[in-house]
Amino acid sequence: MKQRITTDRLTLRMLRSGDLAPYLTYCASPRTGGVGGPQPEHKVCERFCAMIGQWALRGFGRLAICHDPDAPAIGHVGPMQYDGSPAEITWTLWSDTHEGRGYATEAARAVLADLFANNWRSIVAHIDTDNAKSHAVARRLGGEPTGAAPAPWMPNGIQYRFTVEGAG
Amino acid sequence: MTALRTDRLVLRKPTMADWPAYRAFYASDATRFTGGPYDTKSAWSFFAGDAGHWALHGFGWFILDNGEGAVGACGLHHPPHQADLEIGWNTFAAAQGNGYATEAARAILKIAENDHHQRRLVSYIDAGNGASKRVAEKLGARFAGEMAAHDPACEVWVHWEGAV
Repeated sequence: MKQRITTDRLTLRMLRSGDLAPYLTYCASPRTGGVGGPQPEHKVCERFCAMIGQWALRGFGRLAICHDPDAPAIGHVGPMQYDGSPAEITWTLWSDTHEGRGYATEAARAVLADLFANNWRSIVAHIDTDNAKSHAVARRLGGEPTGAAPAPWMPNGIQYRFTVEGAG
Repeated sequence: MTALRTDRLVLRKPTMADWPAYRAFYASDATRFTGGPYDTKSAWSFFAGDAGHWALHGFGWFILDNGEGAVGACGLHHPPHQADLEIGWNTFAAAQGNGYATEAARAILKIAENDHHQRRLVSYIDAGNGASKRVAEKLGARFAGEMAAHDPACEVWVHWEGAV
């Protein structure tokens, strides 16, 4: 997977220290309601480090979503793989002000295209049942609900699968 | 900094080959002094987080390799919610009692004396963790009764005070 991807309006690049402050703001906000709710700061910092560290360990991971690659990120997108479960993709905008413009779809579509160009055949996503906006993104991306049991860390979740054949 | 050598150990950044030993350690009762045992997802977050700390800060946790694989971990880290730098050490079960943590921490402290002498450097150690406190003593750290702000059961062992 490429560590830098550009789309019409966005640059996806490696997360770096300047992105931690807006990520902390996001993690303390009600926007985390669909992914377990606000977390204590030390857990957030650890997760931020883990998003970066997974690249060194697995050769793929999450990227920062940016308007301007030199400015702090506005969200994150990409695959993460916890041990013992398949890799899953996520797309997250950190602030309400960036919603409604198709940024999440544009970013996730570019990541899926890159994964599929690198011989990935499919990837799943877990989306909270009540997160209607994220379900809409998944459908625009060509995802299909699998009917699988929810992931243990998202008991109210629905699993989608994205495949090379279904990529939209 | 990519790797350090001591008499018996190579200290290097974590790789996937270290994951089974790392995961087994965090699943074990040996982590009871730091909030464990932990499930696999939490252990992965620590492991990937260790790798990511290097990219963010330029220093971090090393894996200790005795030539036969990972026997523990030791390193400097700086959680942004704490004012001080910390040096921590873990020895995996099969390798305990060999002095690996002390040997690794000595080598890391030597480097840190140059790079981080201006910051207070501490180790947070659970009051009941006698083995870890003995390592701190051997390293010359001092405990003067201060308990950690984030955990009242945790003693603050000071390696140096840094510039005020």
